[in-house]
Amino acid sequence: MPTAEALVELVEAVACRRDKQAFAILYRSYAPRLKTWLMRRGLGEGPAEDLVQETMVAVWRKASYYRPERAGVTTWIFRIARNHSIDYLRRASNAPSSNESQEEPIETMATGEAFVMGVEREHLMRLALEKLSPEQSRTIRLSFFEDKPHREIAEELGLPLGTVKSRIRMALTRLRLLLQDEQ
Amino acid sequence: MTISHHPGDETLHKFAVGLLTPGLRIVVAVHLEGCVRCRHWIGDLEILGGMLLAEMPPTPMAPDALARILARLDEKDHPVGLARQRSLEGLALPKALEACAISPWRWFGPGMHWSRVRLPWAPDANVVLFRIGASRRMPVHRHTGLELTQVLTGSFSDQFGEFKAGDLEEADGQIEHQPVVDSVRTCICLAAVEGRIHPRGAIATVVQRVIGL
Repeated sequence: MPTAEALVELVEAVACRRDKQAFAILYRSYAPRLKTWLMRRGLGEGPAEDLVQETMVAVWRKASYYRPERAGVTTWIFRIARNHSIDYLRRASNAPSSNESQEEPIETMATGEAFVMGVEREHLMRLALEKLSPEQSRTIRLSFFEDKPHREIAEELGLPLGTVKSRIRMALTRLRLLLQDEQ
Repeated sequence: MTISHHPGDETLHKFAVGLLTPGLRIVVAVHLEGCVRCRHWIGDLEILGGMLLAEMPPTPMAPDALARILARLDEKDHPVGLARQRSLEGLALPKALEACAISPWRWFGPGMHWSRVRLPWAPDANVVLFRIGASRRMPVHRHTGLELTQVLTGSFSDQFGEFKAGDLEEADGQIEHQPVVDSVRTCICLAAVEGRIHPRGAIATVVQRVIGL
């Protein structure tokens, strides 16, 4: 993975010069990871590839909207991939209305803002994550990336469903408090 | 604007991860426009999402995948024809609703109007605007799934407190409530439900039939 600063330069090269070499580096950094994430969310290999393709094309098209003072490149790409996956999963589950549906406008979902430099905030998040217990950290990872019903997470952790829900909630609350302390 | 009622932690987390259905999602998006606290937290969860994405072990893409993507980059990006509706009879619409098709106000009872909010990307989502006159009572109702109500102007109260402009009320399937609008001003709010509403009593049943939730 290139450094955070190098990633910003790559996106700027794509935005300003339509630089395909820079784009290819972004592709190599993110596409295989996006694919893993989508497959963990329950997509088959083919649909996951399709969705990675959609996401990377969106990265190319939306590069000029990227603002480094608002978010790191990884956060920005996570948002694009998430929004595309919502649309994709919905279309897949809801085939009859798909021909008239449109893509959700991503700009309305751009929720990060310049309250702290994106990169700096990532650093704070890393510090906060390290302070979680291994179990809390695992719970958060499961809740984020495995689009499993909480029931399956419960089975995986060998815990009752209610316990999983409250553990996710507690782990997130702890994270929130830790971030407040870091500021 | 002091905001005292926010979406629950689970709802915000689902929003950040992308697991909220489109109707609920847009109500939360409208809340975020006015709520710095929730915006910061979502921003943090998105940072976390990005970090966890970067930690994912790579799965090799198909050998020709990059070539196929590169071949698409020069295609013209056909812009989506989004309706840009910015107001509804004097009500300035939140930015998140600008791409939605919003019907004119329709009467559904004395002092009560509603308007259908259609999401072009999710035509089946149950999202409506309500405009309820001062001191009016909404029909008592219960719902099978989550209901989110974001107050745009005015205020209403129910057994869970007073909800003013900028506040969001989250009511799950267990809750039965009857919001009452304050005595001074008309209240306009945006609501989305998952599942169906269970009205109680004749008026509520008529309302449900008219609005079709």
